Amino acid sequence: MLVFLARRFAFFVLALVVSSVLIFSLIRIAGGNVAAVMLGKGASPQAIDELMAELGLDRPLPVQYFDWVAGMLRGDLGTSFRTGEPVTDLLVDRLPVSVPLALAGLALALLVAVPVGTYAATKAGTPTGAFVATLSQVGIAIPVFWAGVLLSLFFGVKLGWLPTGGWTPWTVSVTGAIRSLVLPMVALGMVMAATLTRYTRTAVLDVMNEDYVRTARASGMTKRAALFRVGVRNASLPLVTVVGLLAAELIGGTVIIEEVFSLPGLARMILSAVSAREVIVVQSTVMVIVAFVLVVNLVVDILYGVLDPRVRVTR
Amino acid sequence: MRRHWMLRGGLAAALSAALLVTAACGGDGGDSSGTAARKDKLVLIAQQDPGTLDYVKNNLTALILWLPGNVVEPLIKLDQDGRPQPGIAESWEISEDQKTYTFTIRDAKFSNGAPVTANDVVYSLKTMQNSPIATYKAPYEAVESIEATGDRTVTVRLSRPSQSFFRGMGGMSGLIQPEAEAGTIATKPIGTGPYVLDQYVTDSKLTFSANPNYWGEQPSIKEVEVRIIPDGTAALNALRAGEADGWPVITIDMWERLTTQGFDKDFKLITYPQVGEMLYVTFNTTKAPYNNPALRRALAKAFDRQQFIDAFNAPWGAKATCGYGLSNTSWYSEESPETCPMPFDTNAAAAELKAAGYNGEPLEFTSLSDVPDLSLPADLLIAQLQGVGAKIERNALELARYSQLIFQGRPPQFGITVMSDPAPITQFACPDPSKMGWTTYCSQEMTDLMNRADAATSTEEYDALMKQASDVLKRDAVIVPLLAKSGVGLLNPKLQGWQEPRILVDIQFANLHW
Repeated sequence: MLVFLARRFAFFVLALVVSSVLIFSLIRIAGGNVAAVMLGKGASPQAIDELMAELGLDRPLPVQYFDWVAGMLRGDLGTSFRTGEPVTDLLVDRLPVSVPLALAGLALALLVAVPVGTYAATKAGTPTGAFVATLSQVGIAIPVFWAGVLLSLFFGVKLGWLPTGGWTPWTVSVTGAIRSLVLPMVALGMVMAATLTRYTRTAVLDVMNEDYVRTARASGMTKRAALFRVGVRNASLPLVTVVGLLAAELIGGTVIIEEVFSLPGLARMILSAVSAREVIVVQSTVMVIVAFVLVVNLVVDILYGVLDPRVRVTR
Repeated sequence: MRRHWMLRGGLAAALSAALLVTAACGGDGGDSSGTAARKDKLVLIAQQDPGTLDYVKNNLTALILWLPGNVVEPLIKLDQDGRPQPGIAESWEISEDQKTYTFTIRDAKFSNGAPVTANDVVYSLKTMQNSPIATYKAPYEAVESIEATGDRTVTVRLSRPSQSFFRGMGGMSGLIQPEAEAGTIATKPIGTGPYVLDQYVTDSKLTFSANPNYWGEQPSIKEVEVRIIPDGTAALNALRAGEADGWPVITIDMWERLTTQGFDKDFKLITYPQVGEMLYVTFNTTKAPYNNPALRRALAKAFDRQQFIDAFNAPWGAKATCGYGLSNTSWYSEESPETCPMPFDTNAAAAELKAAGYNGEPLEFTSLSDVPDLSLPADLLIAQLQGVGAKIERNALELARYSQLIFQGRPPQFGITVMSDPAPITQFACPDPSKMGWTTYCSQEMTDLMNRADAATSTEEYDALMKQASDVLKRDAVIVPLLAKSGVGLLNPKLQGWQEPRILVDIQFANLHW
């Protein structure tokens, strides 16, 4: 197990290093610079050069890269060029929006997908099973922004139950914050639930056809008991993988949802920082997200090992 | 029994979700909704987030809309007709030779309670004099010195009379800030205006409250929230749901929906041509084949201005024009498409293109991809150019890349592009080719006219010379004016006191009341 953990951790560190180089390079390959964006058409090339120098963007790229990495290792994520605020503060401001949104969306998706997917598997080949499968297929086809706009129109404009958008900070009103998050969370969760339902259905169907489930049934277990006592642990393996992959997808989903519902979350911050070429904000924030996704995947890998001893041996 | 276990799980999930939604729907909800009902508060929508509030280093409309006049004020005020009125300077004296201005500072306080001193005024003017924004810096061209000559007196000496200096003191170039608070300008600028900026949450909102230290009359509406909603559909939903009282600046891509979805009937539709931006095509005159005036004139005849008006299906949104400058510019004179030096004529355009030596080589049309006010017109312009036989290669760029290639490029990397701005003609002035800006145009004749206009000793002389300068631009087909766009907005019909912004592109809260 120790060798397995060490190997996984080495891959984790290597992925972090490669990601940092990619993130640093890609934002620069895209072209443009924050000084030209800030000063606009009214600025002389000299004024742009002076601002570039003031922001330290005229230094050689390797110097900028190692400065950034060294800062990250010290816990200093840098400072926004435009507002002068530390990136750490910007992140701390945004996390209370994005983290509850992402976690609640994922929780809702699991809450719906696991029972519905399992139910669909047990009803495979029947009209009910086909109906659930079709429903989940339709759900996958619905773009998340469209779901968001429809929910906003119905619950916000038509019924007036919930705000159409905007954000009330937790410190101002807990109820207000929940109200701000309900529709985005439902839009995000329902679309993701459709994907997860199909994965759950397939995983459960696979398990139910395995020899060990048949043996369990032959030994006198009911279908339900065999599924839960023998099959669930095996069916959970692909599901855990998919949830790990969805962590990254979740961040992509929140970009659109935060835009549609005007939530000042992490994804929107990255989007506007990319537009303005706030390279430090982009680099540090994306790096934090990448690190989070890599940690989730590391945990998933370790869970694999815990759930299935064969993984520990073969990897 | 067996078939119910899964249903139980589903029911439990549904029940939990329903409880959450019920709790959320039943709650007070903080300030996310129902604000329109509170008449001491106003909620407005903005589509763009300024990103920073440092107005010294930024000339973004998203910033200028909300800060000047509300939070920070200029040294003097310009009234609706552009005439100077007392502001932070309660009076002033101009020497006979028009080279010395002596301002007497009002006994006023900044919103943080600190008194406005002559030193604050000197600091503020010098800060704007050194602004990297050329248009903010321009009024200081003739300034020799700025000094505090008393506790409440500031004297500015010029090397020559300058029309733009005094005019500039009523705009962005004359904004006054406390020297002691200069460090927080990017997140919490402080000024003497009728409102205090309480909070700026990037990508979320700006909140303002009435400034208890304001030297003038207290505003009727005590709290203002500017909610940043980038998505146009979400913004319309917020208006429809009564969560916002107005959306004063609506981008061109949404105009058609205002009428087709009935917003113009349920809300007060406001249009304000004075703030509208000029939409024009411009050429890179340093690069072949665009350095050929005959080719530029031929291409200018390909643009059908009426097609724009029809395409936006919003006749109140824009006016076809050939005149450079906005209707609130003192030297502006109205010109119809019929009086254009290069009127729309596809046959003439095609024939003159050939006569100009154009043999079908690709022409590069650079446009912004992420600004609807420019990307939509670019679609039409390209089709019109193709219609007269020009082969166009489109280079659609996002703002950051566009800024780098065009504004920072040496020389600027474009062939043809479409621009929209409040038409500061000063951007085309060029004292010598080494100081040529992104406009790639350097005409001694035009620069001389502008210098003479600045040094004019009467408004009439200034207006006449500026008009002549703009005519040179048109004659050389450096720019092809297309539309004088209107500012377009929606307001709650019960909201009164809306005043058209005329001098700056700013929305004044203090005049509004329920």
